[in-house]
Amino acid sequence: MVPGPATVRCMTAEPKTSPLHDRHVALGAKLADFGGWQMPIEYPGGGVLREHTAVRERVGIFDVSHLGKALVRGSGAADFVNSCFTNDLRKVAPPKAQYTMCLDDETAGVVDDLIQYFTSEDEIFLVPNAANTAEVVRLLQAAAPEGIEITDQHTDYGIIAVQGPKAPEVVAALGLPIDLDYMSFRVAQWQGRDVIVLRSGYTGEKGFELVPRWDDAPALWDALVEAMAPYDGLPCGLGARDTLRTEMGYPLHGNDLTLDITPNMARAGWAVGRGKDAFWGKEALQRQKDAGGYRLTWGLLATGRGIPRSHCEVKDASGAVIGEVTSGTMSPTLKQGIALALLDRGVSEGDDVVIDVRGRELPATVVKPPFVKVETS
Amino acid sequence: MSDLEYPGDLRYTSDHEWVKDQGEGIVRVGVSAFAQDALGDVVYVSLPGVGDQVSAGDSCGEVESTKSVSDLYAPLQGEVTAINEQLDATPELVNSDPYGDGWMYELKVADAGALDGLLDVEAYKASLS
Repeated sequence: MVPGPATVRCMTAEPKTSPLHDRHVALGAKLADFGGWQMPIEYPGGGVLREHTAVRERVGIFDVSHLGKALVRGSGAADFVNSCFTNDLRKVAPPKAQYTMCLDDETAGVVDDLIQYFTSEDEIFLVPNAANTAEVVRLLQAAAPEGIEITDQHTDYGIIAVQGPKAPEVVAALGLPIDLDYMSFRVAQWQGRDVIVLRSGYTGEKGFELVPRWDDAPALWDALVEAMAPYDGLPCGLGARDTLRTEMGYPLHGNDLTLDITPNMARAGWAVGRGKDAFWGKEALQRQKDAGGYRLTWGLLATGRGIPRSHCEVKDASGAVIGEVTSGTMSPTLKQGIALALLDRGVSEGDDVVIDVRGRELPATVVKPPFVKVETS
Repeated sequence: MSDLEYPGDLRYTSDHEWVKDQGEGIVRVGVSAFAQDALGDVVYVSLPGVGDQVSAGDSCGEVESTKSVSDLYAPLQGEVTAINEQLDATPELVNSDPYGDGWMYELKVADAGALDGLLDVEAYKASLS
C-alpha cells in the first residue's frame, strides 16, 4: 500500500510556515500543505479521531494562523466593504464580526468566504482563506476609492482557535474575556499585549478565536496548552477541523464553495444582503435565481460501510447521475460516512441514493445538515 | 518514526505491507507500522473475497483513513483463503495492532519460494531511512 497524497512528506517549493511551526515540529505533528502553508494535520498521541472527540466533549486548540488577515481603513471603509461583499454589514454594529462572501461579479461564483470584523465606520479587519487572501486584497484594492487603503497583514497576526465545551474555562484561565455574544469580539490584553478575542468557530462547539500579533502567538499557544491540561484538552490539527466542520455541514472554500458554486446553490442566502443596493455578483446571483434549475447542496448520510469523498458521483435508484459530492468524510461522532453534495432539482429529504466510491456503490440517504446536534455554537 | 517496530520474522514489500509465513503454503498479509502511522486513524478496510485469485502487484483492496485512501497490493500470486472479518467493525485494529489483530488476509501462494524474493526486515528498514 502507498500512503495517500495528504501524508506524503515531501514539500512544495518554499512553503510558508505559521509562527507556531516550531511548536508543531517539537510535538511531532504530521504537516501538510494548506493553501501554500505547511500546517499540522494531526498530532502524535492524538490523531484525527481523538482530537475530534476532545473538541466535542472537552476542548481543543487549533493553529489557524494560515488564514489571511487584511485591513481596510479610511473614511467610509465600512460602506465600501459592504458594497463589495454579500452580507449586510448594517445588520450588525461594532464591535461585531460577520460571515460574508466575496463573489465574482460576472458569475456570482464564490471567490472566497471570509469573516469581516466591524471595528468602526472607518476600519474593517478581514480574515479570508489562506489561498484566497491575495485575490481578495487585489479585488478590493482595484475597487477602492481614494482615501481607502487595503493592507495585506497575512503575517502580522497569528490565529488560535479554542473550541469545545470547556473553551470558556480555558480562555478565562488566561484572564481573557469570555462574556461575549456569538460573533462579538473585543481587543483584550494578555501579558501586556493586544489579543483580539472573537466568540466564533468552525466546529459547532462553543469557542473563541484568538488573534495575537504574529510574534506573540507562541507564548499564547504555550499558555493555552497549560490552561487546557486540567480538562484533558488536545492540540488539534486541521484533519479534525475538517471532520468537525463537515459534521456541522459548514462549507469549505475550494470544496463546497468555488467559482462554480454560487450562494444560491450552497443555500447561503442567509449571508447575502439582498436588500443592499449593490455587492459584487448581485445581478448574476439574481439572474441565476430567476432562471432556476441549478443544483442545490444537500447532506448525504451513508447507510452502508464506506466513505464518500469529494468528486464522487451521486446516482439515483435507476443509476442516473444526479450530482456530485463536494466534501465527504467518516463522521467520528456517528461512525458513518457523511457528505455534502450538489444534487439536481427534484431530490428531496429522505431520498435513497447511491454514491459511486471509486467504482463501489455506497448507499446513502439525502438529509439536511447538520449531521450532529451540538449543544451550542 | 524511531519508535515504530518491525518484527524480524516477517517479510516486507516496498508498498509497506508485511507477509508472514504461516506454513503449508499459506501466508498472512497486513500493513507495516510505518504504513499505519502514515495513514493515521484507519476507518475503513476493503478486503478481497475468499477464493479470489490475485497476482503479485494486483490492487486487491483499500485502506481508508480519516485523511486518505490507499490501495492494498497483493505481495505474491495466489488464492485468498481467509480475510480478517474483525476489520469490518473494528478497522482501528490496523493502528493498534498492525502485526497481530490488524492482519488483513491470507493467501495460498502459488510458489512458496517467492516469499524469499520479498524484503527482509533490514532491507525494509533501510528503505525507510
